[in-house]
Amino acid sequence: MLDTLLEFAIQGVVLGGLYALFAVGLSLIFGVLDVINVAHGEFFAVGGYLAVGAIVLLHLPPGVGIVGAALGAFLLGVAVYPVLIAPLKRRLGRRPAGPLYLVLTLGLSTFLQSSLLATAGGDYLQVPPYVRGILDLGVTAVSYQRLLVLGVAMVLLLGLFVFLRLHRLGLAVRAVAQNPDAAQAMGINLPRIFALTLGLGAALAGVGGALMAPLFNVYPAVGFPLTIKAFAITILGGMGNLAGALLASFVISLAEAFSVMLIPSQWQNLIAFVVMIVVLLIRPQGLLGRALSR
Amino acid sequence: MLLSVEDVRAGYGPIEILQGVSLALAAGQIGGVIGPNGAGKSTLLKTIFGYLRPTAGRVRLDGRAIGGLRPDQTMRTGLAYVAQDGGLFPDMTVHDNLVVGGHTLPGRRAVRAAADEVLARFPLFGDRRRQLAGSLSGGEQRLLALARALMTRPRVLLLDEPSAALAPRYIDRVYETVAELHRGGLALLIVEQNVEAILAVAHLVFVLDLGRNAFGGTPADLRGSDRIRRLYLGEDAA
Repeated sequence: MLDTLLEFAIQGVVLGGLYALFAVGLSLIFGVLDVINVAHGEFFAVGGYLAVGAIVLLHLPPGVGIVGAALGAFLLGVAVYPVLIAPLKRRLGRRPAGPLYLVLTLGLSTFLQSSLLATAGGDYLQVPPYVRGILDLGVTAVSYQRLLVLGVAMVLLLGLFVFLRLHRLGLAVRAVAQNPDAAQAMGINLPRIFALTLGLGAALAGVGGALMAPLFNVYPAVGFPLTIKAFAITILGGMGNLAGALLASFVISLAEAFSVMLIPSQWQNLIAFVVMIVVLLIRPQGLLGRALSR
Repeated sequence: MLLSVEDVRAGYGPIEILQGVSLALAAGQIGGVIGPNGAGKSTLLKTIFGYLRPTAGRVRLDGRAIGGLRPDQTMRTGLAYVAQDGGLFPDMTVHDNLVVGGHTLPGRRAVRAAADEVLARFPLFGDRRRQLAGSLSGGEQRLLALARALMTRPRVLLLDEPSAALAPRYIDRVYETVAELHRGGLALLIVEQNVEAILAVAHLVFVLDLGRNAFGGTPADLRGSDRIRRLYLGEDAA
């Protein structure tokens, strides 16, 4: 029994790394821009395709593919602000946005999926594992590829948290999240911070896509189910709360992993949404509330 | 003149709040802006600083037109602005608020030096650098907002109702700081409901009413005008 529990726990933690990489970026974007980015899964897909292009087509080393995916997704994210968000923001002025940003990013999601379909086709593409072999833990075995996902995710997230706490631009990102008018009075250029934030969130998703390419097939809509699940995670953690998103990623992934012991596996994907609905009804501010702060 | 506002019109969308306001402030002067609620006092500061774009008229700093610049651009010309609520980052520490205040300074060393200088002026924050700004009392938050605005050594400081909702001892502390800053050569333009507090320190007073200049002169001139005292200070004419 203990062996089984440990096995599910390890699987849950590994899956939590991917969820965290994805959900923390989504939460960061919401916390700073107040935009629920429905197109976040497409940044993940773009990362996957860039990895396929670099590693399968150009035969470059996996490290180059992952870095390329991060850079490509970052640049795409950065471009989203001046091309899409800023013009709508200007038109709205001081009027409330309502669901307009949600609809805008839904449009972006469809545009990117269709573009990927048109340029790369709808085939399920595969990338060979970046690292081969399996780590035998006694109670269970984990592939090094999955451990790589977890390790890289944790290093990147730690880097993000350090950046937000200690770097001048990271502090500016937090300042904008807390009080954009006051941040502007400190000389902070809001459009630049908004674009940087979108870039960082997209880069995290892009790295996720590149890291998962050997485990999932890469296809245009590969990120969409993850986006929906990340909504549940960010709501559980508290919208805009990065530490909350990190915590909630592991809560959901472990709940999913352990649920297999109690319910049929085809119900596993419902766990996140049941948790989301319960949280919305009982504690809508999430586990840690909203704060892109400490 | 260091700061001049010439016949400025501004507002929110189709609603024009400022309908041709003018004022001028020389280096090292303290200007007070008073008037009834809805006169456009806060709107005037927001327009000078760039939160609102003037639809007509000019704002100049040292002869350079700054009207229409964004706040982050205006700030780089030498203006600083402290909002009525202080505009702190409540979930950041006192220290981090000061560091963000020094965002435009070149490098960590310059930020550290500026923070040390500011903390020397505001010793109450010296051993509370790690405290969250949002956990400070209302008066302390206002003082921290003032301290943060000094990180970049502005030439003109715009203060929006610095004494609003403060206990008397903090009002005294805020105005002691204002007097100190003036002695250091800083020009200040202060919107204030607390008329006695501002008249005690200002060199020039501007009364706004319904978005227009109703009076401009020294505090002595204002006290000498029965009409202004009656209409805007709520005093009986002697």
